[in-house]
Amino acid sequence: MTQTKPVAITGLGCICAAGDSVVACLDAMFRGDRAPAPPVRFTTTHPYPFPVFEVPQFLGEPELLRTSALALFAAREAIVDAGLNRETLDGLRVGVCMGTTVGSTMNDEGFSRAYRAGQEPDLAPMDLILNSNPADVIAREFGFMGPCQTVVNACSSGTDVIGLGASWIAAGICDMVVVGGADELSRITYNGFISLKISDEAPCKPFDVQRKGLNLGEGAGILVLESEQSRQERNCKARAFMLGYGSACDAYHQTAPKPDGDGLKRAIAEALACHNTEASSVAFVNAHGTGTPDNDRVESHTLAAMLPGVPFLSTKGYTGHTLGAAGAIEAIFCVACLEQGRIPASIGFVTADPGLGGCPVSEPLTFTGTVALSNSLAFGGNNAVVVLGRGDRA
Amino acid sequence: MDTKTKLKKALADELNLPELNAPGFDDDAPLFGEGLGLDSLDAVELVIVIQKHFGFEIKDMDEGKTAFSSINTLSAYIDKRLSE
Amino acid sequence: MRRITIQGIGTFGGFGTGVQALAQALEKGLVAPSIRAVPTGHGATELAALRADLAPLEVLVQARTLRRMDSFSKLALLGARLALEDAGLEPAGNDNLGLVIATGYGATTTTTYALMDSISRDGDACTSPIHFANSMHNTAAANISLQIGATGPNLTISQFHLSVPSALLTARQWLLDGRVERVLFGAVDELSDLMAYLWMRQRGEHWAGPMAPLATQQETAIPGEGAAFFLLSARDEVKPSYCTLQDVSTGRHSGPLACGTDLLVLGADGRQAFGATYAAAAKGARVTCFTPHYGSMPSGPAFDLAAAALMLRRGKAYATPASEACDFSATVLPADAPLAKEEISCLTFAADRGFGRIRLGGV
Repeated sequence: MTQTKPVAITGLGCICAAGDSVVACLDAMFRGDRAPAPPVRFTTTHPYPFPVFEVPQFLGEPELLRTSALALFAAREAIVDAGLNRETLDGLRVGVCMGTTVGSTMNDEGFSRAYRAGQEPDLAPMDLILNSNPADVIAREFGFMGPCQTVVNACSSGTDVIGLGASWIAAGICDMVVVGGADELSRITYNGFISLKISDEAPCKPFDVQRKGLNLGEGAGILVLESEQSRQERNCKARAFMLGYGSACDAYHQTAPKPDGDGLKRAIAEALACHNTEASSVAFVNAHGTGTPDNDRVESHTLAAMLPGVPFLSTKGYTGHTLGAAGAIEAIFCVACLEQGRIPASIGFVTADPGLGGCPVSEPLTFTGTVALSNSLAFGGNNAVVVLGRGDRA
Repeated sequence: MDTKTKLKKALADELNLPELNAPGFDDDAPLFGEGLGLDSLDAVELVIVIQKHFGFEIKDMDEGKTAFSSINTLSAYIDKRLSE
Repeated sequence: MRRITIQGIGTFGGFGTGVQALAQALEKGLVAPSIRAVPTGHGATELAALRADLAPLEVLVQARTLRRMDSFSKLALLGARLALEDAGLEPAGNDNLGLVIATGYGATTTTTYALMDSISRDGDACTSPIHFANSMHNTAAANISLQIGATGPNLTISQFHLSVPSALLTARQWLLDGRVERVLFGAVDELSDLMAYLWMRQRGEHWAGPMAPLATQQETAIPGEGAAFFLLSARDEVKPSYCTLQDVSTGRHSGPLACGTDLLVLGADGRQAFGATYAAAAKGARVTCFTPHYGSMPSGPAFDLAAAALMLRRGKAYATPASEACDFSATVLPADAPLAKEEISCLTFAADRGFGRIRLGGV
């Protein structure tokens, strides 16, 4: 990896079950609030009510999929946070890079059923999907003219987009890139993760000896990445800097992580090497920490090997697993935690598992370091890692 | 149709394993690993296949793992569960 | 800046299997569409389509390997294997090989049929985990990386008809940044029953062919499917390359697009909605267009790229099918016209003024 300059992060926006803004989410986490409950947006015939983390009372634009409406909601917060508006954005080369899983799938249950039953269903649900590519939706809303890319790398998408967007800035392709991830809670993914036997019937317990799996969540996280020239011209401070990105594939199994964490190790090594970050200088790690037996085992041992002694947490106990949005939402949490010099407790963790490589933080922790690392692992053996550094905004 | 025949037909169809119905197939052959080459994703599919065709749920995957070692062990396990 | 070359090409679609089959189609003329029966609310209806044949994959790969794979992953795997073979690389042990896949719509057969059937028929608790895993857009990339041992960065992009330029932008950037030395880049789309049905519903009376994409004021599109893969390298390769990848740009255009190259490969694919945009961009230029050989699909620009690479290698143009129907002022190159310069731009337009421009150069 060639060395690249840090890329400024000048705006953040977030919506998930923990809150409808970055500040609201952080407050909820430091209060230790969480309220997973059986889904209310759809019915299921499951005999057990698997809890989920839904975004309450969210009414998006009717002409968009909920996924893209969530993305747009978070994008508006991020644009305002970056001190931008339609006038200041005019003339800038702005790209969009968004991660999703549900937001790209040509599937609508009602349409599918009707079509399979030999009817001629109304095309509206399909038109809705075709109108809702998350990257297109954001570009359309703000009139962005740069590259537009929707990453569909399953659960690492929200981390991959940050690395890709930063590379467009570093290469001079864009002045600004709006990156992030969005995913809505869907009956299909709910059923899918239950069938895979990696959903917990109780609130999830990442890294705990009793962990049984994940709880699904939904939401969107958006970050504004900006070139040095652009932010100097408008005298904008950075909330954080993107210091490195790494990704690698296990090439091991369709849905399970490689037991020796090979791909994750290489991704962490690449991300640290981008800006010569010493492992010992990392203040904390935001773990993927889904709460599935396999993920937490592989990830904790990998962290013990690569970043020994560095405190880590999973925020999925507050948000649920938001799939394609997770990496972006968690990178935003990392930035906010770097600003505050503290991380919340890794909720759901109570009892250490002797089979793991370590324990997450069980209480809020203050720190003095300025660098954080965030992991995402995904189906297909994808591993993606970003390294984030504290910004220059007071 | 006896349990074993029904099981083999279900697995052959749903896990795309035509060799199960081939003459001379060894019903003691391991289903996972070196045997038929099934893996953890097939294991959870197997749970669904059994639920669909035999009407009961295997909640504990550890219990399943022992039962899943071959066609014969799985067939015996199904008979035992159905008689409970 | 690092020099990026195309070392291998793997294509298959309505024209046949392999880059040689594409080259033959380009030399010999129009590929005839086949007829696809599409289930509709009033029985099966016939649709002319350029369809891909997966049979060659069963020769290359063991049946057991393909056991869990759906048609989407198989299309991608065949493209990947053909590109590796053409590049002279082994189909296994490709440590640190990057993989970037572009797809317009993903695994639409699995999502609409296999997965939905498992839920509808037997209830939520009987959702098939295998079909669920296969419904993820990145399943094809997962299967390819497993089969060929590609342990480098792995990415799937879905941006409808701009998926190819968009994903190639990233593949190129990985090579320029030195993240990897080689990337297997590919595009894949399947014409599932669902996509064929939507095609018919959106168009009403459909066209039976032949496509005449330079007749930009008419709707002459025929749907296609298949995969086009490329082995991109930033190394000093011993094996002769097809061409160099000079530049990729994509976004929204605000006015006519300046290309500044000798020759354009137009991605015009008979969809009348984009005809005028192509005509305006190509006005007065030297142009070619090959979409009638593979049909209209989001992956189309990857086939344009393959055709451009083949032209650069032979130093001569291929004939544009139905060139006589061209309804704007441009020089449509005849068969075997020499390329004045070793430079070709592939141009794609999409909804909302979206564009993609891929520039290739000589070795």
